[in-house]
Amino acid sequence: MQPTAEQRRWMYRNMVLSRYLEERIEALYMEGKTPVFNMAKGPIPGEMHLSNGQEPCAVGVCAHLEAGDIVTATHRPHHIAVAKGVDLDAMVAEIFGKATGLSGGRGGHMHLFDAAVNFSCSGIIGEGLGPAVGAALSRKLQGKPGVAVAFMGEGAANQGAFHEALNLAAVWQLPVVFVIEDNAWGISVAKQASTAVPRNDARASAYGMPGHHVADNDVEGVYAAAGEAIARAREGLGPSLIEIETVRLAGHFMGDGEDYRPKGEKEGLTDPIPRYRGTLLEAGVLDEAGDAALVAEAHARVEAAIRFAQDSDFLPPEAALTTVFV
Amino acid sequence: MTTEITVPTDLWEGDTEGVITAWLVNDGAEVAEGDLVAEVMVEKAQYEIEAPATGRLGIAKEEDEVVSKGSVIATLEP
Amino acid sequence: MTTTTKSASRKLTIARAMAEATAQEMRIDPRVFVMGEDVGPLGGVFGNTRGLHDEFGPERIRDTPISETAFIGAAVGAASDGMRPVVELMFVDFFGVCMDAIYNLMAKNTYFSGGKVKVPMVLMTSTGGGYSDAGQHSQCLYGTFAHLPGMKVVVPSNAYDAKGLMTAAIRDDNPVVFMYHKALQGMGWLGTEKGATVAVPEEAYTVEIGKAAVAREGRDVTLVSLGVGVHHSLRAAQALEAEGFSAEVIDLRSLVPLDRETLRASVAKTGRLIVIDEDYHSYGVSGEIIASVAEHPGCRLRAAPKRVAYPDIPIPFAPTMEQWALPNADKIVAAFHQMLSES
Repeated sequence: MQPTAEQRRWMYRNMVLSRYLEERIEALYMEGKTPVFNMAKGPIPGEMHLSNGQEPCAVGVCAHLEAGDIVTATHRPHHIAVAKGVDLDAMVAEIFGKATGLSGGRGGHMHLFDAAVNFSCSGIIGEGLGPAVGAALSRKLQGKPGVAVAFMGEGAANQGAFHEALNLAAVWQLPVVFVIEDNAWGISVAKQASTAVPRNDARASAYGMPGHHVADNDVEGVYAAAGEAIARAREGLGPSLIEIETVRLAGHFMGDGEDYRPKGEKEGLTDPIPRYRGTLLEAGVLDEAGDAALVAEAHARVEAAIRFAQDSDFLPPEAALTTVFV
Repeated sequence: MTTEITVPTDLWEGDTEGVITAWLVNDGAEVAEGDLVAEVMVEKAQYEIEAPATGRLGIAKEEDEVVSKGSVIATLEP
Repeated sequence: MTTTTKSASRKLTIARAMAEATAQEMRIDPRVFVMGEDVGPLGGVFGNTRGLHDEFGPERIRDTPISETAFIGAAVGAASDGMRPVVELMFVDFFGVCMDAIYNLMAKNTYFSGGKVKVPMVLMTSTGGGYSDAGQHSQCLYGTFAHLPGMKVVVPSNAYDAKGLMTAAIRDDNPVVFMYHKALQGMGWLGTEKGATVAVPEEAYTVEIGKAAVAREGRDVTLVSLGVGVHHSLRAAQALEAEGFSAEVIDLRSLVPLDRETLRASVAKTGRLIVIDEDYHSYGVSGEIIASVAEHPGCRLRAAPKRVAYPDIPIPFAPTMEQWALPNADKIVAAFHQMLSES
């Protein structure tokens, strides 16, 4: 399955936008945290899990999705949220904890909910799978179109929820796709030290579903595998599992010393964005002027969202007591 | 002879500043060479400072103070 | 393992105290081993296994997959078979994925076997917020664990108690849940409470599980708390002293068993009770403490007791909302003033 020229530019643009968002968040996160790194300080307090390097997973999958399709994401959600079309202003405002944020600042960066595009995420490993299965079941029961995609890291494939959800989705033949972003590290623990098989797509056969593997963080490889899996789900043929070899260019979270990574390992990783840019330039899908315009536009969009967040107020503190129930 | 306790220049990579997060010995206490006396944090990573000699500790940089590589953080009086 | 100082005034962070207690027990008892996520070369996200992997190696300091049901269940099995595992649940909030191994196995197997099967394991887990980590990484859940019979529960407020309670927990023939508050841990990036880093003896010792401590003596009101709340209470006691009131501060240290005698003795003296708990307000530690005092026939309260606890809401991310909701010394002082105005 080949993406159109327009889809290729869409994927590239969303990668650029996501990365620039992460770069700006990184800089703003460090405000108030140097030289003393206290997580509680600065305009963006708390933990911050950046998705730098994992953009191909998000865009290659979301290129096939409509707003009505469902995505559940992880504690590292920004790239997926961007590609799923989550309201960028409200998302960035949520990351800042502001009243104009997706949930008025109650959720923060690990708990982004945008019902308009059926996006949600959770800070607990493997916990997006069950809800994706349930959303797929809901569509099936209601006779409504749509597929659900559950994103997870490779570490999640060792959680009970992974195995239970895959089995359930397969036994009920639900329109759901499970996507593993294999960045090779679960905080400090390398995949080979935690996972009994070298590739998790092998586990698909245990649940009677197709397993796809995408090597080398390849944008269009993700596009092809996801296209096949999502088409299969839309046709009512049941779930699929995809594992994508991707890279974690940043630490597990901001401030991670990463002493556990072997010397040179990180330096040997390829940044997928310049590589894809090169691919598109070579294919004539993008020219230098077009690239410059695309990049400038994406940066401007991010800057506008950050200004929106910075200019927004916090909710009054007592608002903490509201929305527990509706 | 007074010995200075400095932040070793090879304690972490780069020239980032750190902060003393804990003194593990009280000011004025006697410490022995090799004793762990303080923790310094750079971003989220914590590093240990050992006493380079035996003596009575005189703290020069308090907890939460910012330090650089080579900073004198205390003295040891024999 | 890091060289530790011989100085009499040596202080440790809670993280170091936990690691030292574990190392000392591991040196004398080959049955003790550690399992958990990132407990190996990283030394634990919150530093409490730092140095152990270097000294004891990967056989006894085992990094696990993200498989809490499996490795906590495995700890139950290993403990029943004669080992003494120390396992870590990185954030207590993660108990949701593995509670069956904890409350249906770890906590009940001894009883089911009529006392014939021992489950001598320690489940250590981090608690608490205050640094905008939102509602899945900031909870205390003390009441949740203490409510369920069959497991001891300890919550240190300082490094001396942390070492002694950890040693006692490892030596205990019963399962012990060791709940350490992130703001006390000595990790600078979590903004550590200075009062938690205290002098700790080099040699191994135990702090008896089930004994509260009087952290400060007083006559006019009893402030009961645990973990970080003890430090809020001590600050409140100082503020009250400046106003001419004398507050006694009780550090529970253990929730199970609960030292009700120390509580009742203190309230018998002061006649007033305020409970400070960062856990949720309802159905939790604060209610149990008040009930334990009030239901005793000797209870002579001069005023209705009060609690300064976390409201019954998920923990919000935004610092404005979270800080507003958290207990602090000002709220304790205000609760005391309110109590006086009511009585």
